[in-house]
Amino acid sequence: MNIHVSELLAAYHDGELPSNRQHQVEGHLQDCSTCRAELELYVELSSLLKADVVPYQTPPQRFAAQVQLRLPRTLPSRISQKEGKPPRWALGIPLVLILVWAFLQAAIKVTSLILTADQFFGVAIFNSWISTEGFLETSANLFLFNTLVLVGTTIFWSAWMALWLAWQKNQNVLSIKGGVT
Amino acid sequence: MMNLTSPPGTVEMDDHALIACAQQGDRQAFTELVTRHQDSIVSLTYRMCGDFRLAEDAAQEAFVRVWQNLHSYKPQYAFRSWLYRIATNAALDSLRRDRPTTDLDSLSLADPGKTPEQVAEENLRIGHVRRAIAQLSEPLRMVLILREYQELSYQEIADVLYIPVGTVMSRLNSARTLLRQELLVLLEEA
Ligand SMILES: [Zn+2]
Repeated sequence: MNIHVSELLAAYHDGELPSNRQHQVEGHLQDCSTCRAELELYVELSSLLKADVVPYQTPPQRFAAQVQLRLPRTLPSRISQKEGKPPRWALGIPLVLILVWAFLQAAIKVTSLILTADQFFGVAIFNSWISTEGFLETSANLFLFNTLVLVGTTIFWSAWMALWLAWQKNQNVLSIKGGVT
Repeated sequence: MMNLTSPPGTVEMDDHALIACAQQGDRQAFTELVTRHQDSIVSLTYRMCGDFRLAEDAAQEAFVRVWQNLHSYKPQYAFRSWLYRIATNAALDSLRRDRPTTDLDSLSLADPGKTPEQVAEENLRIGHVRRAIAQLSEPLRMVLILREYQELSYQEIADVLYIPVGTVMSRLNSARTLLRQELLVLLEEA
């Protein structure tokens, strides 16, 4: 028990030691006046600090009433300032969708052009690598996909605008309130 | 949390139940939360601001922020740490906006049980302590206040300040060492 416990005394004083360590320190303190004196410094500093009490408290009802007066009239919307803000990448999604749509439009044009050419020449120019039926099917699929992308873009765009407007409104309420206080 | 002063048979709602009500817009439940935590929050902001008017203003602002952010509070977090974090930020904001109007020497009113000499001596001591605390850097002062006055655990302090527990311990250690040097005369008197 000759090894001093100086480095454990702060945590001991703050009640932060696990019980086995706490017993260790207590055992040591019984035999060691050096560590007892050191612990006493922590105790004295704490009591010196606590001699400074908070001078006065506003009565609870008054304090609560003052807080109530400062509250906004309505409960803030569930969309919080930070969480409600649409992330920047969300802006990119409609843009990507539009680009996909444009690409598909072009693809359809090219496909029908090839088909027309194919039929016009009466020869299966491209039959060597793809059948006309395949082309027709691909064309129909492309058209369907194109429509889906267009619908998706519209829905996403509207949802995004709604979210953004809600966030803007929330921001305005907060900034108005911030100006008053 | 049971309130010992409540009449037998009534069980006080705990903080989480009150928050759940307040989240639905129940102002009565919110007022109960404010009243329950007023003392600890005002005392925290007072220790930080060193000015009672500023401290009460910061404490009220903290409760307004709590109300505004109730929806983002999740019951798995300790309410006290969340509340203290908001209050700490509110106090720091008001300190940055508005320097204390009264200085650190403005002291409590005389205790009726003491002679004027005793009061004067005590005020001198307290003034000395406050100046010593005020001289600490903000990170050291924050940890010291949360530990010595608010009696938060190391883990709670870490949660409030978003720092590791090891940092809490080393800052607390530095703060105490500096205070001991500064208050040596007073500590020797004791
Ligand atoms: Zn020892």
